[in-house]
Amino acid sequence: MKRRGRGIACMWYPIGFTVDANPSAATVKVNEDGTATVLTGTVETGQGSLTVLGQIAAEALGIATDDVHVVSADTDTTPMDTGAIASRTTYVTGNAIWLAAEAAKAILFETAAPMLGVKVSQLEAKDRKIQVKNFPQRNVSIGDVARRSQVVIGQPAIGSASWNPPTVAMDPETGQGKPFATYVYATQIAEVDVDDETGEVEILRIAAAHDCGTAINPMLVEGQVEGGISMGVGMALQEEMLFDANGRHVNPNLTNYIMPTSLDMPEITVDIVQGFDPTGPFGAKGVGEPTAVPTSAAVLNAIHDAVGVRVTSLPATSEKVLTAIKAKRAAEQKQIPA
Amino acid sequence: MNEHSRVLERDKLNIAEPPSDVDLRLPVQVPREPYPIETLTPDARQQTRAVGQRATRPDGRLHGLGQTKYIDDLSFPGMLYARIKRAGIASARIKRIDTSAAEAMPGVMAVLTGKEIPTNSFGPTFQDQPVLADPIVRHAGDGVAAVAALTEQIANEALDKIVVEYEPLPAVLDPVAAMREDAPKVHAPDSNIYATKVIRKGDIEKGFAESDHIFEGRYSTQMIEHVSLEPHAAIADWDANGRLTIWATIGRITLARSDIARTLKLPMSRIRIVGTIVGGNFGGKNEISQEPALALLSKKTGRPVKGVFTRGEEFTATTTRHPIIMDYKTGVTKKGRILARQIRLVLDGGAYCSWSATTLGKACILSPGPYKIDNVVAEAFVVYTNKTMTGAMRGFGAPQVCFAYESQMDDIAKALKLDPLEIRMLNAFDEGSSSPTGQVLHSVVVKESLRKAAERFGWEPRS
Repeated sequence: MKRRGRGIACMWYPIGFTVDANPSAATVKVNEDGTATVLTGTVETGQGSLTVLGQIAAEALGIATDDVHVVSADTDTTPMDTGAIASRTTYVTGNAIWLAAEAAKAILFETAAPMLGVKVSQLEAKDRKIQVKNFPQRNVSIGDVARRSQVVIGQPAIGSASWNPPTVAMDPETGQGKPFATYVYATQIAEVDVDDETGEVEILRIAAAHDCGTAINPMLVEGQVEGGISMGVGMALQEEMLFDANGRHVNPNLTNYIMPTSLDMPEITVDIVQGFDPTGPFGAKGVGEPTAVPTSAAVLNAIHDAVGVRVTSLPATSEKVLTAIKAKRAAEQKQIPA
Repeated sequence: MNEHSRVLERDKLNIAEPPSDVDLRLPVQVPREPYPIETLTPDARQQTRAVGQRATRPDGRLHGLGQTKYIDDLSFPGMLYARIKRAGIASARIKRIDTSAAEAMPGVMAVLTGKEIPTNSFGPTFQDQPVLADPIVRHAGDGVAAVAALTEQIANEALDKIVVEYEPLPAVLDPVAAMREDAPKVHAPDSNIYATKVIRKGDIEKGFAESDHIFEGRYSTQMIEHVSLEPHAAIADWDANGRLTIWATIGRITLARSDIARTLKLPMSRIRIVGTIVGGNFGGKNEISQEPALALLSKKTGRPVKGVFTRGEEFTATTTRHPIIMDYKTGVTKKGRILARQIRLVLDGGAYCSWSATTLGKACILSPGPYKIDNVVAEAFVVYTNKTMTGAMRGFGAPQVCFAYESQMDDIAKALKLDPLEIRMLNAFDEGSSSPTGQVLHSVVVKESLRKAAERFGWEPRS
């Protein structure tokens, strides 16, 4: 018979990592037409980071996502970056790009101030224009300013910057210190059906609530959460590399190493928890890795809730779950006085 | 007319209304019928206030149309294909490698062994991993020789012609057994325990003494592969000026360049790494793998050399997720407040360090969970075994310890007849809480995430 259960798991996760410094550098070039090109040494590994990094540059310059082209990952041309690792790209590379865009914008403001007859401090970049704060009707287009900077003033609007998260080394004896600049938090709740005759577990739905500070692009955050959950599902129920007694891997193929397909995926709802981190670009932290963290814990707690057995070794295969159910029944029968 | 407006006038004459994004795209042949994509009005990509917009990815269109160029889509004139022979034995000493039959095959252009690699070691923390094993094989996926041939098929056949004679050595596969002093040493004479981490906060004995209940449990997790859609792939081109260009599926090109410079004893200024669009990383492509071998094969042959791992190699010859054995002892009050938590983690580090030191640190720091606990001791060890190396993978040890601390949390809740949500709300971090390392935390929203998920799920306490 199928028994339904629910399980909850929350987590915390740091942005960046502890070993040595963790810097990123970036260059932002504002072109004569008011578009911008970003140079970054990070790598697009499928997560959509270049889109998010472009949005950060666009926001700083007051232009649209479409106005920014991001060039990445070439040691000859792009600035140093610690890389697409440790959920650090939005936070660390994003901060570097933000600062670089601000440096380029400072050049634009220097050019625009005499054009508008105000001080640099009175300017803001918004809606593809450089305008006087509180007097948006007094404005020049960012393209006109960029062109003037380059062609008339002779100072192209190019900014470069780097950023490294502030950390404090951990004491080797006690581990006390500030190993990471910031952390994100999340909760996932899973609902499962467990067949108590076969041990088969079906994950019906997962409600995921993730913190990433400001969601620079909510759609990509949702994509990360759904992808992370698929990895968590595999970890919870299916995936395991097995070795024989001689240390040879016995299932190095996708026939015998079982991972979830779209048919194994539960219904997922994603909520982005409102948050703002003053140390991140426009309040953003990160989201990549944490999405895969609480899933297996939530699923295993749901199995426990459904059939009352605690599986303590992953993955909770049908065999393991059924063995635990049988052991529980045997223990219960023994308790009945003869 | 002032200078400024003159410039504008000039440009107005030359530049007509700029063409739209749609006009600039390549004409698409497939599908012939326009795909019924709902056009969002206004387009999020056109909004100023770019942050917070659900902007579509510019690369999404290319992925969808199959136009993204991954390594396997790239080709250069005269390019050769490389394959690596894997040891297939977990622990051994290579006595002899005979490559003559392979080299004599038509179409085989070069064969490479570990002896020919200028500095045959690399690694992000410890440089303990060889590009090609020489002479010690430490896991079955170790490469022992590489071949460059006109086609992949010829390269594969050549691998079979390479004769390697091994002297088997004792292997250790279980991390707990590997910690014993008499265990076979994976990197003899060094200890198998290659990194440790400890966190101490408060007074653990006092915390347990003040607790009403003590809960103990052991949890363990499995070895997992990233299974990216795109396998590890690279093309190396050593040009006539002695400048090396490598196109690679690497998430960290800056580190890759210094690692490759070190292994090849080549100045960094002579190396260019181009990170292509990577078909999935998840931590598995954070370090170099076959690139130095491809570079040397390119140098030997004077041709570009491409290497693409098989799915089998993805499992046996690249990093994986650490199996961890986790012992948790937790002291709580009658009401469910956690007073003390003692944790011991043993990470199966596989044959080489890779990102184990980082994983060890993160797992240890995160192991007490997002909870206010005044008395904590967390000790973590990572040990060598003769298995596929474990390294960075989405979460760096966090999914493993989360499974442990959240499993035990529910056991505590059940024993104390508390709702699982309630016990978490009782213990969770607040803004300004002190982490296990004594860090004052900011922008803490763990309780908000609990509330939000519970609300969305429809979580009701059961009486």
